[in-house]
This record gives sequence, C-alpha cells and structure tokens, in this order.
Amino acid sequence: MKPLISALLALTLASSSTLSAWAAGARYRIEVAGLACPFCAYGIEKQLYRVAGVENAETHIREGAVIVTMREGAVLDEDAARKAVEDAGFTFNGLEALHADR
Amino acid sequence: MIGARAGLSWHATAIALASLLATAAALRSAHSAPQTFDTALPVAQDQFVFRGQLSYRRATDDRTPADRELEVRGAIAVLGYGATRGLALFAVVPWLDKGLELDAPAGARSARTTAGVGDARLFARHTLLRRDRSGSTLRLAPFAGIELPSGDDDEEDRFGRLPRPLQIGSGSWDPFGGLILSWQTLAWELDAQVSYQANTDAGGFERGDELRIDGSLQYRLWPRELGGGVPGFLYGVIEANLLHQDENRMGGVEDPDSGGTTLFLSPGVQYVTRRWVVEGIVQVPVAQDPGGGALEDDFIVRAGFRVSF
Repeated sequence: MKPLISALLALTLASSSTLSAWAAGARYRIEVAGLACPFCAYGIEKQLYRVAGVENAETHIREGAVIVTMREGAVLDEDAARKAVEDAGFTFNGLEALHADR
Repeated sequence: MIGARAGLSWHATAIALASLLATAAALRSAHSAPQTFDTALPVAQDQFVFRGQLSYRRATDDRTPADRELEVRGAIAVLGYGATRGLALFAVVPWLDKGLELDAPAGARSARTTAGVGDARLFARHTLLRRDRSGSTLRLAPFAGIELPSGDDDEEDRFGRLPRPLQIGSGSWDPFGGLILSWQTLAWELDAQVSYQANTDAGGFERGDELRIDGSLQYRLWPRELGGGVPGFLYGVIEANLLHQDENRMGGVEDPDSGGTTLFLSPGVQYVTRRWVVEGIVQVPVAQDPGGGALEDDFIVRAGFRVSF
C-alpha cells in the first residue's frame, strides 16, 4: 500500500509541476547580436510584444539575450522572433526553448 | 546684461547701423545648436524617439569697441521615427530667444532682442552598414535633409529691422548632408560625424556654408559590473566639435566680420534607461578663429531628456 501511495503522490506532484509550467507558458531564449545599451532594449522588447502570444519579454543586456514567456498554449515561431529582432535593428542569432527549470 | 534697455531713441539709426556693421554675420547660425548628434539617435522600426533640450549660449569676447554681449536661450524638440529597419526620419524644431547688448557710438548701452520658433530641420538617415557582435555594434549611415525657412527673418525692434544674423530665421532653404558612424559596446560608445550645410540666398543675404566634424565618446561609469536584466547606465561623456563657417554674403559681397572656425571640447554626463535618457553637457571653446570682428563664444550649456515610445 505504501508504494502505491508514494507513486500516486509522485504522479500528483509531477502533474502539478507540469500544469504549473504549462500555465506559465512556454519560455524561449533569443540570442541577439548588437545589443549594447539600455535604450536599445526597449525597441526589441516592443517588437517582440507585437508577436502573437508573447506575454513577457525580458532583456538581459550583458548576455545579449531576451527571455520570452508565451501565453498559455502559445508557441514562439522562429521566423516571427527573427523578424522582431531584425525590425528592432539587431541581428538574430538563434532561438532556444527553455525547460521549465531554466 | 541683456534686458537692460536704454532709452536711446534719438540715435536709433546709429545703433541700427552699428549693430548691423559690427555684428552682421558675426553671430553664427543658431542651428549649430544641436551638439549632441541628433543624427545618431537610435530608433527601431515603427518606433518614435523624442528629445527635448534646453540650451544657453553666451558670447562676450568682443574685439570691437561695441563691447557686444550675446545670449541665446533655446528649447529644441527632436522627433525621430523608424520608417523601416534602416530608414529613420527626423524633425528638429528650435525655439530661440536671442539678445544682443552693445555700446552705441554715443557711449550708451543698448539691447536688441528677439524670440520665436526658428528654422526647422527635416532629415532622413539610412543605415548602410551594420556589423553586430555579441555586446557591440558598428553602424555607418549617410543622412540628408533641409533646413526650412520657418523662423521669422524680418523682425524689427524700436531701432528698426534686426540685423540678419540676429534674426530667428534665415529665410532660406538650406540643404545639408553628411555621414554618421557609431560604434557601441557595453562599456563605451563612439560616434563620429561629418556634415556640410549649403546655405542659400534669401533677400540678398546668404549665410556662409557650414562644415562640422563632431566626435563623441561615452564611457560607462556605473554600474561597474553588469548583472542581469537592463540596469540604467551612467555615462561620462566627452565631445569634440569642430565648426567652420564661411563668410556671409550681403548683396553678393562677402562680410569679413563673419564666419570662422571654432573647436569645442565638451564634458558631460548621461543617464540611460530602457525608456528615457537625461543628459547634460558644457561646450567650452578651446580654439577660436572668428572672421574679422566676429564674437567669440564663452560657453554653451545643454541639458535635456530623451524618451522612446
């Protein structure tokens, strides 16, 4: 009985963790070249907020990266991310989906 | 100083003549005003940037007996718009308050003042070259535009019509163009600009053409170490501005008391966040070679802000 309870508990926790991550939306890291000042960060975030499904965009200037959080169920298309970065006047250097623990 | 007006109507004609001869063309164009390069303002596609700047210029080093003192107060509005990824459009509208105080031939002190919206400038910048690396970017962009005759050029006071260089506007359509290079890293930014403005004739008066070579170095003072996110940056700024203006022409004749060359060295500070910037700078002339009896600058102070939206 004890192993069954443990298994059920583990399953419940895992489901809850997954649901929680799903509810927060998928997260992506966009690598951006040319980002070198705070004033430039606003331009790129503004372009990203125009992409359908983007809930939050947070620039990390030292790393030259933008962490994008999507709305529940939304997916960030690479072409849309590339266009947003290029429209802001920077160079798109890649897109990576982040796991829930990152 | 400016504002102390003497009641000298009996020799108004003499003052008008003296001010015309002594200062005509000695006062440089008010549009040498924007010293922090508007041509380098970053603006993304479909985004606006607005810069507001207050300025104060004083020039009192007069080698003529007129002992002239010039003060120019300005409020300058700059609006930029990113039309495409590479093309940005800008409009610059100055409001100016000019005052000139001088000794009349009879020995009394007199002042002539005027104020209003000056000549607006419209220009476009197209980024030809962009080299982005992680944490740095190099950009090269030509720009071209025109200075419109939006300011009054026929203002009068009790002594009669103000001399043309003291007018708020030039009355002429003046094209200009140049090249701006920006190299920015996380620690510093370097901007260099060369520009030329071909001034044209208006009502028999033609300001001398203007050549400018400007450099600006901004060094991040704080934070010393970068963490996550987008912290505000405090930059120490040093600019150098080399301005050369040809002699003015009045009725087709060159005015020897006009034009000249000035080199400014300008320390300043700038605080930059993701949405707004506040900045201030003092332009100190370190070398001046004014034409004939043209006035020499004492200093120019500028302070302003910038916002992106």
